[in-house]
Amino acid sequence: MITDQLDLKRAIAGDERALQRLWSQHAPHIDAVVRRLCGDLDIAADISQEVWMQIFRALPSYRGDSQFGTWAHRIAVNRTLNALRKIRRIAKLETDIEDDSAITENDSDRTFLAESIEQAMTRLSPGARAVFVLHDIEGYTHGEIGEELGITSGGSKSQLFKARAKLRKLLAHLVDESTPVAGKEHVAPV
Amino acid sequence: MSHLSEENLDEMIARERATERPPLNSWQTIAAGLREEGMIRGPAQGRWTAPPWLRAAAAVVLVAGGIAFGRTSASRGPLSAGAGDASQPVAQSVSGKAVSRTPAFRSADEAWETLNRAGAEYQRASAYLATINSGAQPRADSASLYTSRLAALEQVMSATQSALEQAPRDPVINQYYLATMGAREATRQQLARPAGFRLTGF
Repeated sequence: MITDQLDLKRAIAGDERALQRLWSQHAPHIDAVVRRLCGDLDIAADISQEVWMQIFRALPSYRGDSQFGTWAHRIAVNRTLNALRKIRRIAKLETDIEDDSAITENDSDRTFLAESIEQAMTRLSPGARAVFVLHDIEGYTHGEIGEELGITSGGSKSQLFKARAKLRKLLAHLVDESTPVAGKEHVAPV
Repeated sequence: MSHLSEENLDEMIARERATERPPLNSWQTIAAGLREEGMIRGPAQGRWTAPPWLRAAAAVVLVAGGIAFGRTSASRGPLSAGAGDASQPVAQSVSGKAVSRTPAFRSADEAWETLNRAGAEYQRASAYLATINSGAQPRADSASLYTSRLAALEQVMSATQSALEQAPRDPVINQYYLATMGAREATRQQLARPAGFRLTGF
């Protein structure tokens, strides 16, 4: 997504229309990552506001080394993870990451039928959700995730494996009732 | 209990990645925060925005109507308290007919913001027109043009001064008076400048 350099200059100068254009262009993607990492719409809306404030505060420091969207996305991830830490959502991430919380099934999980992957992600522990979102949806490497979350690359891989296993279980009913994947005879092992 | 296959999960992830959802907040929410921190310069955007030429024209109508109103009120004598609804004054054309009714503002700040914006647009439009005139006419005609303009502005000054005597604390009339005084001073300076010099602003 290419952002007009003129708009950037105008936005830095405080032109509301230019700021709004930047926001309109990038909010769908930026807000999506905030929403996925939070797993709660109300919290996500609050954090998204902070994220955009931070993006616009940092605008004068944007040097154009990467695309604006990539740069803003990085700020969004950092800010969201920091905010989540503050509200103790992933305060114990470093210890969570080593246990099996991502795959542990409780009573409600046995009866929970997720309608979408977004809904299923809300059943993951905050740490596991962060790893899953960053790796599988946002395309981060395990090394990058390790840096963002302060964990080892191995810890990230382990947490991803557990998160995916839990999601496959939570979403199984969707495929059981729908058409199979093209070219596949069996879509879900029983 | 059954499990989704890895392939199915990857498909769902790909769909999720491509899914766009509406922003979590409105622009007004974001803009309010930016304005608080001073990151937005200038007044808040209105819901309706007119092209610059229309805004300039509206500003001219506003000023002309205000002057006519000042003259009328001056000849009628002091305005009696409660003679009209102050929040909804009627703008009048030179012929004295009501041409528009200003919208009901929600606060004095909002009204002042609109007034200042209109005044600024008027001054910019005047400066632009003055520039065109000064560039299109030979020096002798330009001098004549500015002399005429100065005379007209003196009349406007006289009208607004009369209006101020009747309503010395009226913010709208004060605004017109100050704007006219600024334009008169700029015109005087323009007349005093050497040939070939173009007026670019007040």
